[in-house]
Amino acid sequence: MMVRSVLAAAGVFALMQAPVATPVVAADFVFTAIPDQDETQLRKRFGKVAKYLTKSLGVTVKYVPVKSYAAAVTAFRNNQVQLAWFGGLSGVRARELVKGSRAIAQGKKDPFFETFFIAHKSTGLKPSKAFPKGIAGRTFTFGSKGSTSGRLMPEFHIRSAFGKLPNKVFKKVGFSGNHSRTIALVQSGAYEVGAVNYKVWNREVKSGKVDTSKVSLIWKTPPYPDYQWTIRGDVNKQFGKGFGKKVQNSLLTMNDPDLLKSFPRAGFIAATNSDYAPIKETAKKIGLID
Amino acid sequence: MSLLELREETVGYSGTTVLRELELNIEQGERIALVGESGAGKSTLLNLIHTRLGETAALVPQELGLVQALSVFHNVYMGRLHQRSIWRNLRNLLKPAKIDVDLVMPVLERLRLEDKLFTSVGELSGGQQQRTAVGRALFHPGDILIADEPVSAVDEHQAREILDAITAEKPTVILAMHDRELAIKFADRLIGIRDGKIALDEAASGMAPKDLDDLYRNGDR
Amino acid sequence: MTVRPEPSPLARTTTTFVGIAILCLIFADVAISTVDPWQEFNRMLLGLVTPDFYATDSVTQAIAYTLAFALLGVALANVMGLFLALLFFSRIVRTGCAVIRAVHELFWALIFLQMFGLSPLTGVLAIAIPYSGIIAKVYAEILEEANPAPLKTIPAGTSRASAFIFVRMPDVWAHFRSYSMYRLECGIRSSAVLGFIGLPTLGFHLETAFKEGQYSEVSALLILFYLVIATMRIWMKRPLMPIYLIGAAAILPWGVAFSFSNIVRFLTEDIVPHPLRSGAGMEAFWDWLHMMVIDQAVPGTIATVQLTMIALVATGFLTIVLFPLISPLLLGKASRFCGHVFLVVARSTPEYILAFVLLQLWGPSMLPAIVALTLHNGAIIGHLVGRYTETVSLRQDAATGFNRYFYEVLPRVYRPMLALLFYRWEVIMRETAILGILGIATLGFYVDSAFADLRFDRAMLLIGITALLNIGVDAISRSVRTRLRLQTSLEQQ
Repeated sequence: MMVRSVLAAAGVFALMQAPVATPVVAADFVFTAIPDQDETQLRKRFGKVAKYLTKSLGVTVKYVPVKSYAAAVTAFRNNQVQLAWFGGLSGVRARELVKGSRAIAQGKKDPFFETFFIAHKSTGLKPSKAFPKGIAGRTFTFGSKGSTSGRLMPEFHIRSAFGKLPNKVFKKVGFSGNHSRTIALVQSGAYEVGAVNYKVWNREVKSGKVDTSKVSLIWKTPPYPDYQWTIRGDVNKQFGKGFGKKVQNSLLTMNDPDLLKSFPRAGFIAATNSDYAPIKETAKKIGLID
Repeated sequence: MSLLELREETVGYSGTTVLRELELNIEQGERIALVGESGAGKSTLLNLIHTRLGETAALVPQELGLVQALSVFHNVYMGRLHQRSIWRNLRNLLKPAKIDVDLVMPVLERLRLEDKLFTSVGELSGGQQQRTAVGRALFHPGDILIADEPVSAVDEHQAREILDAITAEKPTVILAMHDRELAIKFADRLIGIRDGKIALDEAASGMAPKDLDDLYRNGDR
Repeated sequence: MTVRPEPSPLARTTTTFVGIAILCLIFADVAISTVDPWQEFNRMLLGLVTPDFYATDSVTQAIAYTLAFALLGVALANVMGLFLALLFFSRIVRTGCAVIRAVHELFWALIFLQMFGLSPLTGVLAIAIPYSGIIAKVYAEILEEANPAPLKTIPAGTSRASAFIFVRMPDVWAHFRSYSMYRLECGIRSSAVLGFIGLPTLGFHLETAFKEGQYSEVSALLILFYLVIATMRIWMKRPLMPIYLIGAAAILPWGVAFSFSNIVRFLTEDIVPHPLRSGAGMEAFWDWLHMMVIDQAVPGTIATVQLTMIALVATGFLTIVLFPLISPLLLGKASRFCGHVFLVVARSTPEYILAFVLLQLWGPSMLPAIVALTLHNGAIIGHLVGRYTETVSLRQDAATGFNRYFYEVLPRVYRPMLALLFYRWEVIMRETAILGILGIATLGFYVDSAFADLRFDRAMLLIGITALLNIGVDAISRSVRTRLRLQTSLEQQ
């Protein structure tokens, strides 16, 4: 009896062991991405990218999923990942913390990113060119606390327009966690107004996930630089001379539409740290970085 | 008038027989004392009688069944819970109504508990608790009182007082008692139990404690 | 002669706490603000009845990791806890234990995430550290309550160690064993919840699926989670323990690189207040501290206390309603079975999930948090009180129906119920942290924000304040329990 249950227990562990991905070892090149949308698909989306990079770089490349923007930055800082697909703000933070790290690539349209303000139809708010002052006194949701398009830029515009902190402008302020969630919350009326990444909004409208009779676009922010790939400065030491350059080239020459759909971007162009100076400035201005 | 007739009753718990082939007739207005060794089956017989009589009989079980956290008033008032509306009961639970306090008070005076009206039962001595349980049975509207050793924790003087109170309030009384002398004084009918059988059933008048000795000797089985 | 009833100390305490809770409720924001919740709610219901067990990638791995973190964490906590319990006579050890258990395991995980990254060590320690503090306290109490007589009978000169092994241990071993089983159940729950912040346990997928509105996946994950918890008593056999532990250690990916310098950097740089780190001087530091206290600590503390007090009293009320569901004094077998199922589900569902669903339904306010905490804790205490009534026997002629409930049962369970409730007070306060992550502006919210901004100096300050608050509540609760002479014997469950 005893022997049988011991064997059974061992069997259970063998079973559990089977699907476990081989652990990341120190020699692997690892990257992550901020969980900005559709998190269930992250593994699938970035698994393909890992395969592509493995092939073009000649080393094993692994993708590690993380739960938050901060976790992505921390993993980068602690050298558990050497490359990351960051947002504007998380990228600035990461490069502040890791000396010598560089922004190497961004989406073709990422220098001109936008945030959309969306509102539930019960608010009666109409689309406008000027900042919609009518949102004052409503309930409002940002995206993730560490998001550029979901937090930093909308907060910046709200503070410039009203000269007050968001929690003084609105009846209630929330953080949905990510952009898809922001749309869902405004659509259900849990919040009346929200700020969302324009790419996520456009994609979800196109795929029919948004009920536009309930939630609609009311304002677009002026463009700002956002997403980018950032790499640690010490990768050359770890993976050999010119490795950073090689990674950059692989990213810039990525042209498989199926891969690019993961981001979703039409393709990548080169980026530099200074491209994100405006983001850093804005973050300092509203006190999100010291 | 006959209150209850038991014919060839056998009672047992989980396979063991406690009471066997009982033949018993109880008349209204009788004062009965059950005597016998502990474990002879007195409590079982009392419970059986109580089950048969239903809610016309008030019960004082050996373990009293008091709610320690509640006051003497509440515990005594419980004797009439089933007669009152749930709202009245709830109200009295939160804040006793004067009308009901006035009803309970005479019972407590009789049992010398009047100064403990709002004391919680947990703070009372064993004797006071026993009197509270008797009080609950006296407050019960039924004419019959069934009690299992109701005076075991009080001194002889108090025991007499309690028994007097019981006889004054309830026409029909069935008690289990271990004090033979007191049993003979109190009851007009004695029922002796031995090994789960009725071994004696006689009028109490004229009996002496030693007449009951047979019941207490270890029986040859 | 007076006939005015003196209110009992229990009644007075009850009134005071209900009064405080009502006061808190008056100032709390509990408005329902959703305009159109039903579409999402219908989707949730549909998802609930159509569980999809194949939606989650590597779900077996998630279950394995959930168990592995729990097993290793609780085992380590048992060893450390026992050791600390033996040193519990020392004030330093007692205080240290109070501090480590005052910090929620989620916060520990967030701290260790900075030091060890996504290494298994983060998950194991996040459970082991706070649990050590809890276990040390409970084991010390058990040792204290153990029968002192045998110790007097052993020959003089017996070493303390042998005396302990031969005399003390056999006496308390059974208690330790049953308590560590209970802790393991808590550990599995905690382990799952750690997934919410990124560890690869069930919570990781649960949170994602919830956030993405994949309710069929949520349903499947919750069912698996309940199954793991409900079957624990079956598979958790003592002789198998070593195999489980070795298995747990074997499946975790220890290979993740972590460097000592990260730990040093966190402890010596990251958590140093920014003005001091950047050399801005003491004045800047005082400004920083002032800002932190006024803008975050004070409002966070107020919301935390408010939520805790309302949830505590509401939990009491709910317990009174729920315990009859499983009490043999009040209900028949069939109804009690349904009662048991309901209570198991309500107490196993992490309050985070409950709050999440309710937030969707009612919109952002304190209401979802109150109801989530109340349901979860009411089900736990209701279960314990219901179980307690199994040991109560009523007199044969006890009243029936509502009269029985109000006069016979409720007064008997009230005292043990209050004991449990006051014991749970600190736990409820700790749990408000996790709801802060959902956006309810408790201290947990500000801690989460500080971590999101990678401002560990702020996070540590706020965690410190949270810990102090918990220790304070624990002390008040202990003094109330002593004053009311509420026994602690039920606590261990």
